[in-house]
Amino acid sequence: MIGFWEALALLLLVGSALAVVRLQNAVHAALALIANFLVVAGVYVALEARFVAMIQVIVYAGAIVVLFLFVIMLLSAASANVGPDLLPRLPWVAALGALGLASLLTFAALQFSPPASPGSLAGGLPQALGPLLYDPERWLFALLAVGFLLLVATVAAVVLVEPERILAATTHPAHPQRAGQPEPPLSERKEGRAVVK
Amino acid sequence: MTWLVASALMFAIGAYGVLTRRTAILVFLSIELMLNAAALSLIAFSKLTGGLDAQVVVLFIIAIAAAEVAVGLGLIVAIFRRRETTNVDELRQLRW
Repeated sequence: MIGFWEALALLLLVGSALAVVRLQNAVHAALALIANFLVVAGVYVALEARFVAMIQVIVYAGAIVVLFLFVIMLLSAASANVGPDLLPRLPWVAALGALGLASLLTFAALQFSPPASPGSLAGGLPQALGPLLYDPERWLFALLAVGFLLLVATVAAVVLVEPERILAATTHPAHPQRAGQPEPPLSERKEGRAVVK
Repeated sequence: MTWLVASALMFAIGAYGVLTRRTAILVFLSIELMLNAAALSLIAFSKLTGGLDAQVVVLFIIAIAAAEVAVGLGLIVAIFRRRETTNVDELRQLRW
């Protein structure tokens, strides 16, 4: 029913996905995620989505996972094992739920009957996608909205990481005393480590 | 059809990871896996029905995932600087 390459890709997809959720070292899990994304990019090429495959490699495997690895190293949060588990039986229940979800979604996928003669995708190359993407009656305004969203997300990320410095740098007329206040060291702040009850 | 099943399996595995991982970064990695499974199903449907719109939607998914990762990792770094942990069992101020 399915050929050799399809079976191999299916095996690699499921195997690397399981590695992402089961490996105990966070760096290894992120590397497994890169492997998964690269296999998905290969599948995209096979499914006539070549431009999306390129973007997948450059943005997902190249930029996003590298950002993950950077934060994992920065926070030295490399181990997934963080002390005694509050819900020791949760993995079994979660596995049961995931199995149910997988069978439900597989059942739904097998119900789908594709049209007898699907249209041509032109290989999914940029010259086929571009006119759709920049058509004012199709996706142009969504594209502009996503561009604005990226700008807002960038500003939000900067503000989230350095709130004290940004508040100190912007003197608001209503709160002039805020300006120039030194940032207290981490150990003297009131909000300490949360206590597990 | 094979790839629809593959995407269903990846989505379920990602959901398992979201439920069982206990570090915020690893929960986030599992969410990325689920997003990617959704994108894979869109590409599979694009091939099955012969429409290019699904591929455009996948481009949007990738762009929004980039924005989401920027904000999410910013949140995780901010929480870590304040609490010195990203264990989701200890970050329980907003839940019982």
